[in-house]
Amino acid sequence: MKKHVINGIEIILKNNAKTPRVALVCNFLINKEEKYAGIRSLYTKLLMQGTKKYSAVELSKLIEDNGIELNIKCKQDNLTACTLCLNEDFELAVDILGDVLQNSTFDEFEKEVHKLKGEITSELDEPRLLATDKFVRKIFENHYYSNSYSKILEELDKISKEDMFEISQQFMNSKKVITVVGDIQDEEKLLNIIAEKLAFMENYESEDEIPVVNKIQAPTVDFIAKDDLAQAQVLKGVIVPTFTHEDYPKIIVMNNILGSAGLSSRLFVELRDKKGLAYTVRSSYEPMIRGAILYFYIACDPSNIQKSLDEFDIEVKKLQTTPITEAELQGAKENVIGRLEYFSQTNMQQALMISGDYLLGLGLDWEEKYRKMINDVTIEDVQHAAHYFNSNSITVALAKSEYKI
Amino acid sequence: MKKELINFPYLTKPISLYTLDNGHKVALAHKEGALVNISSWVKTGSINEDDVNNGVSHFLEHLMFKGTERFKAGDFDRIMEQKGGIINAATWKDYTFYYITISKNHLDLALDMHSDMMTNITLPEEEIGPAFDIAGVAPEEKRERYVVLEEIKMRKDQNWSKVYHALNDMMYEKHPYKRDVIGTSEIISQIPRSAIMDYYNSFYTPENISTIVAGDFDEEHVLQEIIKGFKFRNTKTKIMPHGEMELEIKNPRTEVQRGDVNCGYIMFGFLADSAKNLKESIALDIISTVLGEGKSSRLYVNLIEKMAEPYYYSLDTCHYQFKEGNNFFIEANFDHTKFDKVIPEIKNELKNIQNITEDELKKAKKQTKVGFASSTETVAKLGDSIGHYLTVCEDLNVAQNYEKLLEEIDIQYIQDVAKKYLDPEKCAINVLLPNEEK
Repeated sequence: MKKHVINGIEIILKNNAKTPRVALVCNFLINKEEKYAGIRSLYTKLLMQGTKKYSAVELSKLIEDNGIELNIKCKQDNLTACTLCLNEDFELAVDILGDVLQNSTFDEFEKEVHKLKGEITSELDEPRLLATDKFVRKIFENHYYSNSYSKILEELDKISKEDMFEISQQFMNSKKVITVVGDIQDEEKLLNIIAEKLAFMENYESEDEIPVVNKIQAPTVDFIAKDDLAQAQVLKGVIVPTFTHEDYPKIIVMNNILGSAGLSSRLFVELRDKKGLAYTVRSSYEPMIRGAILYFYIACDPSNIQKSLDEFDIEVKKLQTTPITEAELQGAKENVIGRLEYFSQTNMQQALMISGDYLLGLGLDWEEKYRKMINDVTIEDVQHAAHYFNSNSITVALAKSEYKI
Repeated sequence: MKKELINFPYLTKPISLYTLDNGHKVALAHKEGALVNISSWVKTGSINEDDVNNGVSHFLEHLMFKGTERFKAGDFDRIMEQKGGIINAATWKDYTFYYITISKNHLDLALDMHSDMMTNITLPEEEIGPAFDIAGVAPEEKRERYVVLEEIKMRKDQNWSKVYHALNDMMYEKHPYKRDVIGTSEIISQIPRSAIMDYYNSFYTPENISTIVAGDFDEEHVLQEIIKGFKFRNTKTKIMPHGEMELEIKNPRTEVQRGDVNCGYIMFGFLADSAKNLKESIALDIISTVLGEGKSSRLYVNLIEKMAEPYYYSLDTCHYQFKEGNNFFIEANFDHTKFDKVIPEIKNELKNIQNITEDELKKAKKQTKVGFASSTETVAKLGDSIGHYLTVCEDLNVAQNYEKLLEEIDIQYIQDVAKKYLDPEKCAINVLLPNEEK
């Protein structure tokens, strides 16, 4: 990997020879809460809806006629503006990306608000998403991370077109990094293209105004009734330390053993294979800058909601009280690292990962450090990490009303 | 043993395709990198089922992970995942496939365990779980049979699945493609082990299986490991009569179902010729790109972008390729209060596909080129592409002929194909709308 600086922005290049498509990611750090839920989602959608040079239709046509992928997505901590194209179309792809970031008009504001409402309405028709939405709002209550789909629907009408220009300015004034991964044969030419097409951006470092996530004050159980469902959707989670904490690798390995290893995790084997409680069951760890969640998810027969929660508690208790074997620990470490390799095969996956890690201050050698951290986890560390489930938890169940818990 | 070399776009070396003396096909594709992908594609799925065993292909797919003469249930999953492997399987109408993506350092172990799983299963009763009456009391012992029943329930809660499965049923009269791949709760709750093992013995035969390895490895060594590892049983492939291909919907109609949803869901379905008719298949891919893939597609531009207050939330097309006749779909998510406009508007766009332009054809061709580039970006995607061509098209040469045929296709040809298969009055339409009180 090589690092260059243009306008104060660090440009990271990784050469993957003989690959047909090149990926470029501009990654912007978020350090302010949203004025209204959904303001950034709306902004990312409007970036694709026309610039001073192109209408929305002309823009889509230009992108798709050339087989270019251009995606702009906003998560809780960062916004990524990405393009993926055949090597010969790189200059055009960066030109379009620069144009949408610099010259979007937001003229289709009302229409895009209308479209976003419709899209969210249809998303919330899916039981899993409806339950997850409620879970996110509860577990991050009163924090910016609780800006879920349903909250966006509640606040969308408060957003104005002027807010879009304000958000645009916020991103231009944020910390950012650009990563390019592909068959880089002429590095100088590539840097010149970036300098010419993205020269309007500069790098800024500013203070983080978003507070850390609060601990859950008291355990709560919420039930949502939906009477035409065949299955129940159940989530139970706790707030845990994130990637800056020494327990980060311990939680990763513990979570892998408990429920994220694929077909051989303890939850999968015990709740699915041996007890036939579900087709889908897992645990997940989602670290973000200001906090992280660790949670259990199962889609089961509604008559088995309590049984599933009890079985989950039994598996957690086992991890807390009975030391895992050395073989299981080693297997979990290899699984974690194997997954990292699996999900970083393409140029786009690598560009997103490198830029994300770098933006968060984890450094260009993060992958190496990460492997070492994982390999240093001990049997006692796994037991220790399992105790995070003793914190106050949020449980959400969605099912037919007769199965209320 | 026969060997052919097949060129595949964007690969640095041709793919070696071996047909072993027992009929087992082995494709070895070179791709630089740390990971390898191993997959075996069995030419069976719901196409070889009937009303008595519908869902058996998929149930068997689950049970293939439940142990062999050498390894007990769960060993395969645990050993492969503890070596960092990603494993799984999938069942569709024409095929069932099993795959592993793993570090090339563990290739020999993965090949050994994969070949053992494919040819040496035991189907223990205790892993299958007892048969029971779905209308009665469920047994205490809930094993894999119950997992599949939960999967069936899960799909009942998915709105697009509800629409797709109802539409699929409407599109066919008698052909086995009419059946739902996952089967029914009634059949899965009752089907005995003996019927599942009979099915395995009838279709998991060497001439019905293609094994693909994609990655950076010693070709001769891998070939020998596959020959050594796949110890097939001495069973004969069962020939299932599928009846005639259905190329036209006999009873075009619209059906509406109701549910606890907040917007409308609609799918239009059309039948077309086999995926083996490559030129027509490519033409339908082009039509799909022009009509409904992406934000510059006609449906998106005319029914969303050009509307002041759009009432469609999504509009897409897709072209599913099958050995015995392809499917073409148009699907939309919309404001249910505007339902009266939806069918005429989409049909109108479909009629206009006859006016395809040179620019649109050029776009579709460029996207095809990008599609091939994308299919070589991971060893898993490469394995999937090769498996699809070998199993559905039954010819890997398709990969090297595709671009040549694509260049031959002109506007007149597209128009002819559209006229032949995409008559707006000859489709089946299924709609999901909110319950009446909404």
